[in-house]
Amino acid sequence: MIRTGTRYRMLALFVAPALVVYVAFAVYPLLSSVGMSFFDSGGGESTFVGFGNYVELFTNPTTSERFWNALVNNVEFFLIHLLVELPIGLLIAALLTSGRLRRSVGVYRTLLFIPATLSVVIVGFLWRLIINPLWGIVEFPLLGNEATALPTISLMSVWQYLGIPMVFLYTALLAIPDDVVEASRIDGAGAWTIFWRIKFPLIAPQFGLITILTYIWTFNGFDIVYALNGSAPGPNYSTDILGTFFYRSFFGSSGQVADLDLGATVASVIFAIILVTTAAYFWVLQRRLKTYEL
Amino acid sequence: MRSKLAPLATLAVAALGLGLAGCAAGGSGDGDTTKIVLGTWRTEDAAMWENDIIPAFEQSHPGITVEYAPVDTNDYNAAIQSQIEGGTGPDVIMCRPFDVNRSWIEQGYFDSLAELDAISTFPESALTAWEGDDGTPYCVPVASVLAGFYYNTAIFDELGLEVPTTQAEFIDVLDAIKEDGTYTPLALGSADGWQLAYNMLYQVGPNAWHGEDGRLGLIDGTKKLTDPDFVEGFRVFDSFKDYLPKGYESISYEDMTQLFTLGQAAILPDGSWQISQVTSTGLDVGVFGAPPAAAGDQRYQQEMADMAFGLNAAGKQKEAATEFLEWLGTPEFQQLYVNKLPGFFSMGSEPVSYDDPLAQEFADLKEGAELTSRLALDRLSAGQPPLDDEIWRVAQLMYNSGLSPEEATAELQKGLDSWYTPAG
Repeated sequence: MIRTGTRYRMLALFVAPALVVYVAFAVYPLLSSVGMSFFDSGGGESTFVGFGNYVELFTNPTTSERFWNALVNNVEFFLIHLLVELPIGLLIAALLTSGRLRRSVGVYRTLLFIPATLSVVIVGFLWRLIINPLWGIVEFPLLGNEATALPTISLMSVWQYLGIPMVFLYTALLAIPDDVVEASRIDGAGAWTIFWRIKFPLIAPQFGLITILTYIWTFNGFDIVYALNGSAPGPNYSTDILGTFFYRSFFGSSGQVADLDLGATVASVIFAIILVTTAAYFWVLQRRLKTYEL
Repeated sequence: MRSKLAPLATLAVAALGLGLAGCAAGGSGDGDTTKIVLGTWRTEDAAMWENDIIPAFEQSHPGITVEYAPVDTNDYNAAIQSQIEGGTGPDVIMCRPFDVNRSWIEQGYFDSLAELDAISTFPESALTAWEGDDGTPYCVPVASVLAGFYYNTAIFDELGLEVPTTQAEFIDVLDAIKEDGTYTPLALGSADGWQLAYNMLYQVGPNAWHGEDGRLGLIDGTKKLTDPDFVEGFRVFDSFKDYLPKGYESISYEDMTQLFTLGQAAILPDGSWQISQVTSTGLDVGVFGAPPAAAGDQRYQQEMADMAFGLNAAGKQKEAATEFLEWLGTPEFQQLYVNKLPGFFSMGSEPVSYDDPLAQEFADLKEGAELTSRLALDRLSAGQPPLDDEIWRVAQLMYNSGLSPEEATAELQKGLDSWYTPAG
């Protein structure tokens, strides 16, 4: 038995390298970006303006319209992932562990995971060609119509990242001991009942976790939209999400001067949106998802 | 435990040592040559600069070496701003035209170039894109790009068509191609808003709003986008939407180029920078400018100031950098540059000859035409909402959702009025 003091010292020693790197490359930039949002750096020197940039963001008719539009689009982007990617991921994970695929489990698992390893630029390019009215399989301009553009892009992203929730839930399902399942089968439960009454409650915490991770990923989303539609994603900003709105503010666009303060403000708002929801989720919901001791 | 870690630790220390040694070796230059760094967004030209242009400069200027340091065009503005704020900016900085450059001038990034001999080799019109508010030049112009309508000469011959000289003839030509039905009249899609604005509206519109008259009128507040001239320009732009390929709403810039180069479309509205692409499949291609409304009317040609170089006010090698800037004004550089990079045009007063026949044809479009810049890039896009971005969006709405020219111009003027006070 090591004395507590030494233990803490050892603990600090082991944590230190990761902590230093994390603070230097994640915490510090984050805080300094939040700090930047309270300053106005126009004209060469920066002056403290308090919440001035935030007031500007939410009251200027143009920026506030673009912001709310991006937020609503981002919610839609998230909901499509939530309602399409997660159920399909769960379904496939359930099929993979059901034993019906016998020896081909590995093949399917690999095939379904491959898109997640592709570059988003390649995925965007492939799908853009597949649905291209000139050379593709549909004549309807899916990406050029305000109503269909965002769902189309979201589904491309769903297609690409389906493997992530699948593998996540697959490993959770694998961890369920066979004897529990067998016992329920002996008690007369069918496959449907076994899944929803035995297996799903056991993986509920993981399902909750992948939900909140999907939320974080989609609200930090940027790449697929940027790869397909650039930093002013049309038509009529119908595919603009918070990530592209931030990029446009911070880095500027064609003739627009980059506004670092506004960009930092947008970044801080995105951070707050993600932080609040994630924290609320962990405090309120995740605790109530019962973890069954097996 | 200790013995197992020891080799690893040695390795780590060795690697670190090697790395440091590498840095040291890279950092120390030899004493008698001066190195200047060029900051630029033209990543695609790196090979050309490094293999042809910089060696030519270094040969005539012994003792100076030049490093070409490109940053991706999307990140360029932010990168330069942060480099200069941090004191690590390049000695020579490529200048964005108009507003971005004006804000850089105000921030004191550049030294004035009024004393430079090279400046006097350019006409005043070539310098405006990079001047301060008081007319002081801050950058040496390098190249401009032009917009035009590429046409497939084989298709024109097959259908017996002539290059149009008025707007009405242009529409007749498009009607004839549409009626024949074999080819798409106009290779144009609306997926990329910038493309509609830069290569269509800003190309056909100036004939209606009288080029610089209209553009400068908007800037000094004597004209409004809702004036009949501008509405007419937007109407002409709108009249082309009947000649687009199917599903044009999601046809991107790359798709249009491809449609044309595969010989499936007769006419492609595009910039001169695409010359090499457009002829890459061996098509016989000609080019014409946007025709005026009636025969004998003044024709307006879009010429967009694209690149220039300025002197970093905080640079450490100003003397060598100035020598480089002087060299940019020489015919030697301009002849070399425009012929290594077909589709880019010299802005100097001295005539330059172009080896590429299509480039020469493009350069000839400037003859007899009033030159004008893209409508909204100067001053009108320096606030929220930026007029240029709004025009991209509204142009898409006109083609995709049937927004009328009157509605479009009214919406744009409203956005502009919300923040812009004329320079007066």
